[in-house]
Amino acid sequence: MPTPPLPGFTRRDFLATGAKLGAALIAAPYLARSAPAGGGADSLNLALIGCGEQGRVLLNAAFKIPDIRFRAVCDIWPYNRRYGERLLKKYGHEPVPFEDYREMLSATPDLDAVIVATPDFMHAEHTIAALKAGKHVYCEKLMSNTVDGARSMVRAAREAGRLLQIGHQRRSNPRYIFARDKIVRGDKLLGRVTNATAQWDRAVTEDLGFPAGQGVAEAVLNRYGYANMHEFRNWRWFRRYSGGVISDLGAHQIDVFNWMLGSNPVSVIAGGGRDYYTNHEWYDNVFAIYEYPTEDQVVRTSYQVLTTTSAGGGYYEYFMGDQGALKMSENPKYTKLYREPRAPEWDPWVDKGLVMRPGSGEGAPLPVRPWEKPRPRIPGLSKPASVVDVRETAELSAWDMPVVLDKAIHQPHLENFFDAIRGKAALHSPGEVALATAATVLRVNEAVAARKMLTFAPEDFTV
Amino acid sequence: MSDSPAPPPAAPRCEYTWAFLLLRLFLGLRTLLEGLEKYESNGRYSFANYYENMKRMAQGITGASFLPLWATRYFADSLGYLLLALGALLLLGVKSRLTLIIIGLLYVGLSFGLMAVQENEGVAWLAIHVILIVGALLLVRYDRFALWRDRSA
Repeated sequence: MPTPPLPGFTRRDFLATGAKLGAALIAAPYLARSAPAGGGADSLNLALIGCGEQGRVLLNAAFKIPDIRFRAVCDIWPYNRRYGERLLKKYGHEPVPFEDYREMLSATPDLDAVIVATPDFMHAEHTIAALKAGKHVYCEKLMSNTVDGARSMVRAAREAGRLLQIGHQRRSNPRYIFARDKIVRGDKLLGRVTNATAQWDRAVTEDLGFPAGQGVAEAVLNRYGYANMHEFRNWRWFRRYSGGVISDLGAHQIDVFNWMLGSNPVSVIAGGGRDYYTNHEWYDNVFAIYEYPTEDQVVRTSYQVLTTTSAGGGYYEYFMGDQGALKMSENPKYTKLYREPRAPEWDPWVDKGLVMRPGSGEGAPLPVRPWEKPRPRIPGLSKPASVVDVRETAELSAWDMPVVLDKAIHQPHLENFFDAIRGKAALHSPGEVALATAATVLRVNEAVAARKMLTFAPEDFTV
Repeated sequence: MSDSPAPPPAAPRCEYTWAFLLLRLFLGLRTLLEGLEKYESNGRYSFANYYENMKRMAQGITGASFLPLWATRYFADSLGYLLLALGALLLLGVKSRLTLIIIGLLYVGLSFGLMAVQENEGVAWLAIHVILIVGALLLVRYDRFALWRDRSA
């Protein structure tokens, strides 16, 4: 016996409704993507100068932030500019493309802020122009390839009464903030910090090229300060555009030295050289040792940046105290806390939520097989150290930090900048602070060249 | 044929007595505590923990081998009680030969389960226990200081 149709819902109705629902489901992602970005009362109008590698990183981090609208993109290379424009349109923005930043600033007066992601030697020029046009500026690190350039940026921000945030994004990373405010400073789990070390070891990379037929005419490059297409693409390796690897990679981590220790250094000694990449101008490896005066004592820090090997454990900043150590990295897999055997037990800190017993990796209990029960943990009974030499001390126990960053690593720093514009937060890396970092970093190159220890004066870090 | 009289039967030697006593105490303690830890979870001992632990053990072995769950559950559920009882009997010296044989069979049974899940490290540890039991059985005739000695001891 056939089933009677439901009252008021015929087969034709069913087919029509189904087709509409199906069409809506298929169209939903496109409708969502084409929805205009921003638009709220707090919405900010933005422009990006520099659509290269770092500019794209910042765009991809910014797409997840509500109430912002990119109105313009600027790059002297049409290939990059088109990429930035298409990427923004894909996410519902309607940017107007420009080759010249001056034209962009005059043609789009309703901008609230400008993001600068150009080569270091252009940071001061682009930032100062935007500040003078009344825009807030987020500028990538290193603030400038010269300390004078960095100073001029701070002065311009003060004169314009606008915000200047520099892209030392670790300062907005909740893991780093937690480590600094709770572990190192607040509850002083490391005890008295005596030393720090940091490194960025990166394997050999080939020089960047460009797609055939997509190069910029040399006359255009010369007009914007570049010698040729090779130097334009590989500006990080050439002295007129950049501070070299210590600026490119080291700036982030040396900034963390200053920030975590709450101090600027008093001296630096360094060594480095251009021994591998003979077609570059800057050093391919640099080693530096700083002295930081802190409340407790002079803290000596060492830093190495290598561009010919990724051996040695990647990139991290390692702070060592007499009761524990903190190994920090933007990559959580390199992050670890260590307790010295002489330090008080950390179980109360576990209860307080400051540290975690590792669930996996270093320091974690051996994995339990499905038929085994977890072994009982006896408080106070540490694993005996395998001491092989009378001068060797007992092994540190490894712990984890309970804070994770579930966003792109640049997103919190951009969010902090936008919140500061709206008056809801203070900048995490204002120009004044980044000037001190630039001075700290760039002095390394001078020390390498001088082949002797150089000292800092307090006025080196200020305007 | 010698005219000299046959030597008197050798008296039990003191070192064998001590050797067996050491083995008996070691194996008794080991067996007793091995049974006791089956009742532990997070530092607390209870029957509820025991059945939870044994359920995990049985399911783990069955999940990783060809052994049926009814067999592993039956073995696991009785294992803790047997280890406790046998450990206590061996410590006290109650029918040591029989007790050692049953403990040995129990360890062979445990080894079989671990062989089935290819847990070679565990099998090796159990093999050491079995070797100690074999040694103890060879010396059981020197059992002294026992509560209830075997008839031929």
